[in-house]
Amino acid sequence: MATEVKSPTFPESVADGTIANWVKKEGEKVQQDEVIAEIETDKVVLEVVAPFDGVISKIHKPAGEIVQSAELIAEFEKVSDHSADNEADQHPEPILKTEVASEPIAPEEEEKLNGPAATRLLKENNLASDDVVASGKGGRVTKADVVNHLSESSSKAPQKKEVIGIQPSQTGRDEERVPMSRLRATIAKRLLSVKQETAMLTTFNEVDMQPIKDLRAKYGKEFEEEHGVKLGFMGFFVLASVQALKKFPLVNASIDGNDIVYHGYQDVGVAVSTERGLVVPVIRDADNLTMVQVEQSILDYAGKARDGKLGINDMQGGTFTISNGGIYGNLLSTPILNAPQTAILGMHKIQDRPVALDGEVVIRPMMYLAMSYDHRLLDGKEAVSFLIAIKDQLESPERLLLNL
Amino acid sequence: MFDVVIIGSGPAGYVAAIRAAQLGLNTACIEKSFDSEGKSQLGGTCLNVGCIPSKALLDSSHRYSDALNHFSDHGIEVSKPKLDIPKMMERKNKVVAQLTAGVGGLFKANKVTAIFGEAKVLNSNQVEVLIDNKSEIIETKNIVIASGSLPINIPVAPIDQKNIVDSTGALEFSAVPEKLGIIGAGVIGLELGSVWARLGSEVTILEAMDDFLPMADQKVSKDVLKEFNKQGLNINLGCKVTSAKVTAKNVKIGFKKKDGDEELIVDKLIVAVGRKPNTANLFDENSGLALDEKGFIPVNDYCETKVKNIWAVGDVVRGPMLAHKASEEGIMVVERIAGKHAEMHYDLVPSVIYTHPEVAWVGKNEAELSESGIEFKSGSFPFAASGRALATGESTGFVKVIADKKTDTILGVHAFGPSAADIVQQGVVAMEFGASAEDLGLTIFSHPTVSEALHEAAMAVNGNAIHIGNRKK
Repeated sequence: MATEVKSPTFPESVADGTIANWVKKEGEKVQQDEVIAEIETDKVVLEVVAPFDGVISKIHKPAGEIVQSAELIAEFEKVSDHSADNEADQHPEPILKTEVASEPIAPEEEEKLNGPAATRLLKENNLASDDVVASGKGGRVTKADVVNHLSESSSKAPQKKEVIGIQPSQTGRDEERVPMSRLRATIAKRLLSVKQETAMLTTFNEVDMQPIKDLRAKYGKEFEEEHGVKLGFMGFFVLASVQALKKFPLVNASIDGNDIVYHGYQDVGVAVSTERGLVVPVIRDADNLTMVQVEQSILDYAGKARDGKLGINDMQGGTFTISNGGIYGNLLSTPILNAPQTAILGMHKIQDRPVALDGEVVIRPMMYLAMSYDHRLLDGKEAVSFLIAIKDQLESPERLLLNL
Repeated sequence: MFDVVIIGSGPAGYVAAIRAAQLGLNTACIEKSFDSEGKSQLGGTCLNVGCIPSKALLDSSHRYSDALNHFSDHGIEVSKPKLDIPKMMERKNKVVAQLTAGVGGLFKANKVTAIFGEAKVLNSNQVEVLIDNKSEIIETKNIVIASGSLPINIPVAPIDQKNIVDSTGALEFSAVPEKLGIIGAGVIGLELGSVWARLGSEVTILEAMDDFLPMADQKVSKDVLKEFNKQGLNINLGCKVTSAKVTAKNVKIGFKKKDGDEELIVDKLIVAVGRKPNTANLFDENSGLALDEKGFIPVNDYCETKVKNIWAVGDVVRGPMLAHKASEEGIMVVERIAGKHAEMHYDLVPSVIYTHPEVAWVGKNEAELSESGIEFKSGSFPFAASGRALATGESTGFVKVIADKKTDTILGVHAFGPSAADIVQQGVVAMEFGASAEDLGLTIFSHPTVSEALHEAAMAVNGNAIHIGNRKK
């Protein structure tokens, strides 16, 4: 059955685009997330990627034609050599699939591909091809790859200290040395790599929470009685973010090598603090969820997190993250990106503050919003407009109802 | 309507046309040149008046010079060999005819439509072709400009193709000029100078620049200059030609040197000061195309011009004017038109001078690396230490391998000596795969071959050469 391939949703400021190039032809086999077409707008070249492994069955808009936002440009079909594969594809088991995909090729077979010097150096240092980032033709590991790998790990080596426990320090006063937990070590590594590998900066805004507070006061009780979950603040933030992500697909995209990957779904991670550290379970397909379902899944995740039952699968992926530091009384912060995502929204404490409204000083429950984003992908204008789109929806929650 | 129309049938154009047809594109190739008998002529400069005929003459002249000067070294005594220049030229023309006919045959076999006439690009979908003074419009989805290049003329020495000739005329002398002057000590000047010097001309090369072969490795240039002067090419650097007068008997050349004006009298003068893109009257001013200040068509790394669906490859675009670079660009472009992924590795285009011994290189030389602050190590091996080179009696020159100081990745291979072009080619293959000097060292080379010099030079990079003392680190 054919699936429609549509042009990406263009940013507000972009009227239309031109099909610059069909990277893949009609009938050509392509893999999921491979770029099949490039659409040129007056600002950027947008890439259209294959929704899954298959073939382009029909191109509706040949190169050179003007296309509108989210317009049908081609039809895409699944192909499969075996009917068994076909069945598996129709009932995707994400965990199983990723495991199969990431299973390494037999190392013996792979090492044969490398040049003689790299092969020797790998063996001498007890390394496998997999341990080294390969830069050579056809995925080969070159000698330079191994040399660079070794010099990187040797520069890190002296930091390893094996002595664990309470030890008198050089000054004679006690210090305790304990190994980092796996979770802590992973968090440390990821946060540092994000700082080093992205061009991260933060934009701020503030939101008047009065309308949402009023809404909660008016309907909170009824909501809880009807649905069995509390009407919190988080649901509003998740739905407002989803609306804004749809308007600004680049914020929902991620960088992969030299490519931009546009995600056709909004999976929103919600940072949850646990005893062992911060975890970010992901609310999948948040664009299809109602307020009730969002609140319900946050509640479920919070319970799982408390019981230490969150699985890797609950936390993998995600196209955008919301972090709520407000529950600890945090007034303003600059959150760190959750790689490879492009943006993260920081919520803060709601505090009564005097603000100027219609020429008068009034006291309103205000919250600062912070959004850190990867400047490599997002321009300031887009990031700021995105944050304002969220603010507008929170200050007029009826917009959520009207998809505005 | 064609999928691709290619303008020019030289090594860029004809190769692109064949590849395009292989990829299932409906392809036409337009060629405007005709031979002296008025027959249409495929193959461009390379096949007709460049690479191929010059190599035919280089080989013939080398055999003559061998018989004359070196047979006796091997204990072979022959009576003084006699030159038959018309026959030598006939052989050269036969080679050219065979190869150009071959291109026609390949076009037929691949169903490429050959169109003979003068092409002009009107817009991205239309090419006007002037066939026997009649204009015809050809419709196409893509246009590839591969119109090549022409010898540069200098006003002080106007070409008459009789006494003052360009590279084309220098392949057509009917007798060996007693005294031959050449302006330009570049690749073309050196190759043509070699041909006629071997056949008996007293050659003088005048080069305006003070540096000899500045694009080659400095040690290579130095050794080459010494060897070629020994071969009688009389290379004079820093000589600016100011006049060239054709008299009834000879050509009187005036030139400026640092220490004053001088005069040289020759029978023939070859002007080989370089080539310029052949882009005159190539496109309509409304086509959207434009030339840069040197007459090249500006393109990006994928040979795309600023007009969609118009591409330009080979000598009409930036980069070295080399047949193999042009062919690869032609292939890249039509593969991209066919929706395939293709790209050029411009830093891995090898350069060759087909003198004897040959000069060849790929990648960076030491001066370039020092200038860009890249730390490197290098290893050299002289042919004088190569068993095979000595056995052949051709032990001039050396091979040099340059590698990154830290990673050992090969950054350049330079050779001056027997089969230098083929030796460097092995380096190109290795570099294409990101090889280190050690990789070449760990590769088995047949013994005895001149290629072993590459093996030893690669091992010398890390101080491990076997057949020569290694430099102390």
